[in-house]
Amino acid sequence: MGGVDVGGGGGGKRKLDSEINMIPMIDLLMVTISFLLITAVWTHMARINADAQVPGPPREVEPDKVEPEKQLHVEMRQPDKFVLIWKQGGTVISTVDVPRKDNVINKDGRKSIRYPELATKIEQEWKSVGAHRDAADKKFDQAVLHTDNETPYVFLVGVIDAIYHAHRPFNVAGKAEPVPAFNVTFAVN
Amino acid sequence: MTVHEPGRRLMHSVSLKFVQKKVTGGGGRALAAGLSLTSMIDFLVVTVVFLLMSFSASGETPVDKRVKLPEAENTLDMIDAPMVAVAGSQILVDGQPFGNTRAIEDSKRLQRIEELFNVLKSKREVWKQLHPGKEFPGVVVLQIDQDVPAVVVKSVFQTAAFSGYPNVSFMVGNIPKAGGPAKAE
Repeated sequence: MGGVDVGGGGGGKRKLDSEINMIPMIDLLMVTISFLLITAVWTHMARINADAQVPGPPREVEPDKVEPEKQLHVEMRQPDKFVLIWKQGGTVISTVDVPRKDNVINKDGRKSIRYPELATKIEQEWKSVGAHRDAADKKFDQAVLHTDNETPYVFLVGVIDAIYHAHRPFNVAGKAEPVPAFNVTFAVN
Repeated sequence: MTVHEPGRRLMHSVSLKFVQKKVTGGGGRALAAGLSLTSMIDFLVVTVVFLLMSFSASGETPVDKRVKLPEAENTLDMIDAPMVAVAGSQILVDGQPFGNTRAIEDSKRLQRIEELFNVLKSKREVWKQLHPGKEFPGVVVLQIDQDVPAVVVKSVFQTAAFSGYPNVSFMVGNIPKAGGPAKAE
């Protein structure tokens, strides 16, 4: 049977070689494999986050007025293009059109849609205009999604996925981890 | 009575060895096959390590059979939070029906869903009573069918936000990234 040689071996003394009993070891491995196979989860679900910009409760002392931050507004109302608009408060800073191609992938009845051109363009826009890039910065740039009321949910997920393509470093327990550069919310109208 | 070693007993009286071997069935291929312990243990250890690496302690998240979730690349890991499902025109909170979306679909206007608002608000109150002194995370997970119109999505989203859950997560199927398996945390 198997053994572990730990050296030594002087005559007359207690043996330093110790043996592992193979039968309980194999039993243990088999039981562990059975447990892990039974409890295994083969379908992996995930989530994409969105942040509702809800005003907090009224404060007794209003804080000093701060300059509004730049926000990226993603318009998906037109069938042939997306419009990316950087706004600061009510002021439009820049506008970019991105051609829209809806390539719906249908796999076993489950749809997915990718917008690689939009993802690349949003990443470029964030690299040139985005304000929160440092790993120590706790704030994120805000993206606001504008859509009409008829658009199916799968298209919204495709656009949110494209927005989350842009990544930045963020300090998690003292280590910089790549996280999505934007927080996404929906425009009411 | 003596104890004998187990084995074949018959035809042992035949004195000629080559005849004895023939009649007892000896000389043929052995029926017992040996198993190499080293490679077997290697295989078992590799299997255990692989299964341990892919083990998830959080278990499987229940998904309503009527809901077909879309898929996305840039996803986060699932979290434990109240689950709001929109299946057909029905709204389910943790599997229990609370309201429907017919009024929104008919009017095609964004509106608050009162039943959903009330149940989420009461869940929030219960959480605060159970965890006094702790900050409420305000996270809710939405399971929405891929073909549900945006007006319903926005209505559910807004209702959840106004009932005290501003961190809304959309449950999706995870597809591996084209550039590699890196996953956002």
